[in-house]
Order: sequence, then C-alpha cells, then structure tokens
Amino acid sequence: MSNVLRPYLAAVRSTLTAALTLENFSSQVVERHNKPEVEAGGSKEVLLNPLIISRNENERVLIEPSVNSIRLSIRIKQADEIERILCHKFTRFMMQRAESFIVLRRKPVQGYDISFLITNTHSETMLKHKIVDFIIQFMEEVDREISEMKLSLNARARTVAESYLTAFNA
Amino acid sequence: MDTAFRKIDIDQYDEDVLHESELYDADPRDPAQVLEDAKQRQAAVRTALARSDVVGALSTILENAPYGPNVDQAKEITLHTLLTILNTTKSTEIPAVIKSLSQDSQDTLMKYLYKGMAMPGWGDISGSVLLGWHEKLTEIAGTGCIVRTMTDRRLV
Amino acid sequence: MALEVHTLAQTPITAHVFSPDRSQLAVSLNSNDVQIYSRQGQEWVPTETLSEHDKLITSIDWAPHSNRIVTASQDRNAYVWQEVQDPETGKLVWKPTLVLLRINRAATHVRWSPKEDKFAVASGARAIAICSFDEENNWWVSKLLKKPIRSTVLSVDWHPNNVLLAAGSADMRARVFSAYIKEVDERPAASVWGSKLPFNTICGEYTSPAGGWVHTVEFSPSGDVLAFASHDSSVNIVYPTGPVFNIRISSLPFVTLTWTAENSLVAAGHDCQPVVFSGSEAGWQSVGSLDDTTGVKAADGPRAGYGGNTSVGRLKTGAFATFRDADTRGKSSLSGAGSASADTKLLTVHQNTITSIRPYQGHPGQVSMVSTTGVDGKLVIWDVNAVAGGR
Repeated sequence: MSNVLRPYLAAVRSTLTAALTLENFSSQVVERHNKPEVEAGGSKEVLLNPLIISRNENERVLIEPSVNSIRLSIRIKQADEIERILCHKFTRFMMQRAESFIVLRRKPVQGYDISFLITNTHSETMLKHKIVDFIIQFMEEVDREISEMKLSLNARARTVAESYLTAFNA
Repeated sequence: MDTAFRKIDIDQYDEDVLHESELYDADPRDPAQVLEDAKQRQAAVRTALARSDVVGALSTILENAPYGPNVDQAKEITLHTLLTILNTTKSTEIPAVIKSLSQDSQDTLMKYLYKGMAMPGWGDISGSVLLGWHEKLTEIAGTGCIVRTMTDRRLV
Repeated sequence: MALEVHTLAQTPITAHVFSPDRSQLAVSLNSNDVQIYSRQGQEWVPTETLSEHDKLITSIDWAPHSNRIVTASQDRNAYVWQEVQDPETGKLVWKPTLVLLRINRAATHVRWSPKEDKFAVASGARAIAICSFDEENNWWVSKLLKKPIRSTVLSVDWHPNNVLLAAGSADMRARVFSAYIKEVDERPAASVWGSKLPFNTICGEYTSPAGGWVHTVEFSPSGDVLAFASHDSSVNIVYPTGPVFNIRISSLPFVTLTWTAENSLVAAGHDCQPVVFSGSEAGWQSVGSLDDTTGVKAADGPRAGYGGNTSVGRLKTGAFATFRDADTRGKSSLSGAGSASADTKLLTVHQNTITSIRPYQGHPGQVSMVSTTGVDGKLVIWDVNAVAGGR
C-alpha cells in the first residue's frame, strides 16, 4: 500500500473502532420495535456527533455513530470523467447486490458514493475488528480497482481504434 | 384541497421532546466576551510561536475553547490560529508536544482535528498535516479520545 | 486473572446471574428464553428453559434469600419466577407471575432491592417502575418514577437501605431517586443523600464532563459513594458531599461495573477486559487489567491486538490470504490455515464486548471473585486480587 494513503486509512480505522461500540437498543419512539437509530433519527440523544475524515475535497469518509448502529459513507477519488463513470457503474453494481455484502446500504448518503450500515447485530455475529478490516480493505481496493479499470478501458479503446483504422490504411 | 397541514412539524408540540440545548451545559460567557478572548489568545499564540514555544501556544488556544451557538466568529478565529500552530510544527516534534498537553487539551485538539477535516479547502487546511497529527494523537491518547469527540455535545 | 473460562454458546449473552449457592446459572442467550444451567463438575449443563417472554430478554436478577428470579424483556413485560412443587409430578418447577409494569416501551434492566420486597425495572418509556407485592390481590403492582428522566433508562442499582435507587440513562445523567413506598418500607434513617425522602425525590443528578450515555451505575457497599460509567470512556465516582472524580481512559467505553470493596471497583465493556480502579475520597486511579494480554499463549500462536496496535498496512491476511492463495497461486487452504487463524483472535480472554459483570464470591465490601459474560458467549470468573499489570 502506498505510504500516502496510510495515515488516511489509519484515521478511518481508529475512528471506526471507536464508533463500533454498539449495544442492543430498543426504540423509545415506537413500542416493540428495534431499528437502527442512525437511520430512524427519532431521538437526538442516542445519536453521536458525525465525524468526517478527509484527505482532500475529493476523498473523504463520513462516520455517523449512534447507540445501536453506525453509517459509514465513502467519497471515492474521481479525477476525470472516465473515473466518474467507472465509479458510478462499480458502486451501482455492488449496491444492487447489497444483501450479499450484508453491511452495504442500498443507497449512498447524499454527497458520497457508497454507504455502509453496520448495526449491533452485525457486531454481535461477526468479529468487530474484522468488520473494520473489511471496510479498510474495501477502501484500499476500490481506488486500485478503478484505476486498473481505467487502464484496461484505455488499452481496449486503443485496440479497437487501431483495428478500425487499419481498414482505411489498406 | 388544502394539504399544508401535512407539513406541520408535530414533533415540536411533544412536551417530552429533548432539545439539543438540553444535552450540554451552555457556555456561561457572553458571545462578545468569547470573541474578545479568542482575539486575545490569537495574539498570545503569535508571541508564543515567535519564541517557538509550541506547547505554550497549543495549551493557550485549547484552553476554554469556544463552544455552542452564537460564537461562530470566535470559533473561526480559534480554528485559524490552531491551524497556524499545526502547520508550522515539525512532524518529529509532534509526539513530544502532544504528551505535554493536559487530557482536556488533548480532547479539544481531537475535536479541532475532526472539525478541520470536515471542511477541506477552508483557509490553509492541509489534509496530510491533520492526518499526521491525528495519527500521533491517537497513538498517545487512544481511541477513548475519539469516543469523547463523538459524545461531547460542546461542539467547537 | 481468569480462573475459569466457559464457552456457554456461540451467541451473545445479554445477561447472567448465579443462584445464591452458585450451583446454578441463569442466562439469556440473546433470545426470548431464560436458560438455566447447573454445575456438574467442571461443566455447566443446561437444565431448564423459562419461556414466557416474546421479545429479547434484557436483564435477569436472582434474589439470593427468597430464591426468586425476575426477568425483564423488550416486550415491555417483567415476570417473577418462583420455584413451586408441581401438584401432579411433585417436581420443582419455575412458575411465572406477570408484573403489572404499566410501561409502554422495552424494559431494559431489573434489580431486586436488598430486602427483596421490591424490585426496580428500568425502561425505554422514560420511567422506572418500582414494583412491590400487593398481598390483597396477590400480584405485583408498580409505581413509576418519571420526572425528570428524558430518555431510556439503561441501568438501575439499589442503595443498601432499600429506599434509594440510582439510575443511569441515555440522556447523559446518573440520578439518585427515592423509591420509598409507604406500604412496604420503614422510614429510612438519614444518609449522606438526604434525610426526608418521599417517593420520587431527586437526591442527586450527575453527568460526565464530555457527556455520553450512562451505561451503568452502582452504589458502593456502604451506599455513601456512587460510581457510574458513561459512553465517553470514563468512570465517574461521586461523593455526594465531597468531590466527583472523572477518570478518562484511553480505550473504548465501559458498559458495566461492580464494586469489590469500599475502595475499589471493577469495570468492563467494549475493550473486552475487566479493569480495576481503586482510590478513596482523596483520589481515584486505574490499577490495571485483570486480563493478561501481554503474555502470548504458546498454543494459540501470535494473536492480533485490538484497535490501533495492528499495523494498517497488513490487510492481506486471514481469510483473504487463504482465498487469494487458492485463487491465484493454486495453493490449498491447508498451508494457509496457520496464518489465517493468526489474526482472528484477540489477545483478551473475552473476544467481544463484556456486557455484564457481577460479584461471584465474597460478600458486599469484600468480593474476591467476579464473573463476566459478553457478546462472545463466554462466561469467565476472575480473581479480583490478581491484577495482571498496568495498562
């Protein structure tokens, strides 16, 4: 991993560890319900201050903690139009299959590209530090994935253009 | 048909509702005085920095930091002053500086680091500098310090 | 030091309590039933299931003298269970009695009073129900403590005088109430918390400087000191006529604590290890953890630390490495198994949040062992005098 990215991911890791202190909390608004308070937003006192970790304007993570759930949203680096399209397609592909990712949200929070919703059930059934590892790894991979896709897209475009233009060369 | 009634915020008539302002004790100081304080501290920090006394400058600015509503200008001045200190400190000196701060100051510093990261591009905020400080501060003050930043409603 | 470690289940244990003679154990395995285990040699064997609730059971308490169990659940109900003889078979069975709680949200925590003639049920209805037995009608009736609670009450604890009650709630306050019920209680003697105590008198209201939900409250054995742990990773010790100490810790918040003596307490929570604090009116500090995280147990191989200790760069480990090796290098998982398990275990005995801690051996003021259960399904018994070292 590049050394530039390290402090950023370290900050996300420590903040996420601090935020993943969840407990089973039954709704105090609707009886016999138990829902993620960060999404319901019914009672202010069980929400904590949202924190943002950023490298620059284009790369940031929003962590919204609450008593029984946290929402983590990532803004992925998009340098140009192609990266923007690739990023959109990539996140859309995953979010359409959100149930296989368990902690993935079907729709990102406004201003971000992809969001995760981790509830107390997740932190009970899965190892907490592994959830943190998963998010960090995702962040690390997604940048590389998109730049690799961009390279192969360019290479493909070149091949297509070459074989198309050879027809006129003859 | 008149549908305006659908938009009425009925929660405001709930007498059990908990208001944001009840979640913490308000700053007893007057907003004008807080602003005055912030300006004085800015000057004090400049003199401390001129003597290259980073610890002194940091503890001055982090003590009694403005919080709550109506003191936006004082908050801005404080953040601006703090950023000058953060940006001028050499990365090798950071751990020693953080260690000599009180626990209160460490908690306040963490709040400002997150505030800074929440507004990239504002003033002379540099993401890598803030992340560098964040890493060192977490090493010394632990994740507990981050938890306190989340729970403390006295927003800086 | 951990004396005994039992893995009761793979599911979280939401609450645990031992029978008075420690031969039986009642737990809620994150379900609607109470599971009673009996000790057989070194093992705990499930013997009975108490099912009446239809939502998650949040708290259980076992009255040591009258041998009654009270359970609270998110279905808004509480039951008192009493061991009676079945008229047909002659066997002892647990018989439930519904309590008229008059709350309309989840019950979150329940505790018997020291004299066992009352119990308190904390709830999400911004109220605490104080329940006492009505002889005339042969049922448990409740009286609600309401003002000035603004949010879910997360925990309650009784003062030794059977009248005062401490409560910690999600509105960031720890409060001391009077739960004096005319029909049941004798007039209490004056204490440091006040002298005239009609029902719902507020004898004290405390908050931690950095806020945070108050997860747990407990009176010291004498009842003259109150300790509470809040979500801002701090433990607060309150002397009602003197100072209030706020000890901030550098790791994750505590969710449960218990006093072991008048001058020491054990707290545990999201950091997965119990930590001992000690002090007096002059000052309090952390003594150290009961869990020895420094020594690597040889059989388990190296285990990863929690939080900041693990290097950020090493992510290609564990399961990921196993699959990648199988995918790109055609290696079977057998060779990768050693490294795969290496970083999945924490250094602590508990592998997830500790949710409840209780005295196990000794009497109030001189507790020598405590028991903890957690989200990882483990029950651990600790010797409180064997502090493994500084943090």
